[in-house]
Amino acid sequence: MLRPEMAGSNDNGAAGSQREAQRVRTIIVAGQSSDRTREVLRALSGFTNVVWPTSLESALAQMGSQDAGCLVIADDLREEPIDEFLQEARELQRNLPIFVITDPDDVAEAVSAMRHGATAVIEIPPSYAALCEEVSRAMQ
Amino acid sequence: MKDLPQTVFVVDDDDAVRDSLRMLLKSAGVHAETSASAQEFLSRYDASQPGCLVLDVRMPGMSGLEMQHELNLRGVTMPVIFITGHGDIPMAVEAMQQGAFDFLQKPFRDQELLDRVQRALVRDAENRARLRHTDRIRERLASLSPREREVLDLVTQGKANKMVAGDLGVSQRTVEIHRAHVMQKMEAGSLAELVRMMMAVAPSP
Repeated sequence: MLRPEMAGSNDNGAAGSQREAQRVRTIIVAGQSSDRTREVLRALSGFTNVVWPTSLESALAQMGSQDAGCLVIADDLREEPIDEFLQEARELQRNLPIFVITDPDDVAEAVSAMRHGATAVIEIPPSYAALCEEVSRAMQ
Repeated sequence: MKDLPQTVFVVDDDDAVRDSLRMLLKSAGVHAETSASAQEFLSRYDASQPGCLVLDVRMPGMSGLEMQHELNLRGVTMPVIFITGHGDIPMAVEAMQQGAFDFLQKPFRDQELLDRVQRALVRDAENRARLRHTDRIRERLASLSPREREVLDLVTQGKANKMVAGDLGVSQRTVEIHRAHVMQKMEAGSLAELVRMMMAVAPSP
């Protein structure tokens, strides 16, 4: 798992270069989410560059302009057409890991998101450890 | 060879669920076969039989997710629709990540299941047509001589006959003859078609 202190690492050599490559990639977090989830998501800023578009449309624009390592769709965007967005995002970047944060027990929504291209669906409130593990794996 | 009819394989340890699904599918004109356990299904499954699978997640012995894993190991591409009365998001995500076609929670409306079954059967037919197509391409590739294969690889990389001749150390006329043989054996009408064929059989990234 990535650790926050890696962001400031000055290591040399292959391991350092690998970390450097990881460090400069961006996590795009679409939406602001509920307070509790936001707190967890904000913690991601500790180990890499994070941008916070407030809509799916601006997230797509960020995908085009950033070296995106992964995309996290927060749970406050459920009113937006997430399935359509996922399809569009997949067309734009086929291999970008995309995580959708959703209501607990909303299995139908989770399945729909997976069918439309989500890498994984995480229930709210996501645990910091679980989210970091997913994001770290994605960034590698 | 006559195509086998599409079958919906229902695997559920609950007798009542199996019977009701069989009746439902029969009423919709869909042929169904039922199994009471994953082991029973696996012991008699014939991969040449087209169709889809309606699979209960929680069963004694091998669970639905374990059976899906086993099918993946065997290279079975038949679409799997999971049904469960005790589904949660991690379970659904795992099933979908393992390649499930759909995941449905009980209770569900009859039409919901029938719609998904119809889509799964269409998907299976498409998968099988794609496999037959790539098998035919591989058979044609196997009929090429080593030199023809070299020419094929180079021309589908976009190289002109003159460059291919240079790479292989032969005359341009020789390349033209090999190329004509390649087009004939591969049953390709154009270079673009030949490239599409090679992309169809290329390993996934």
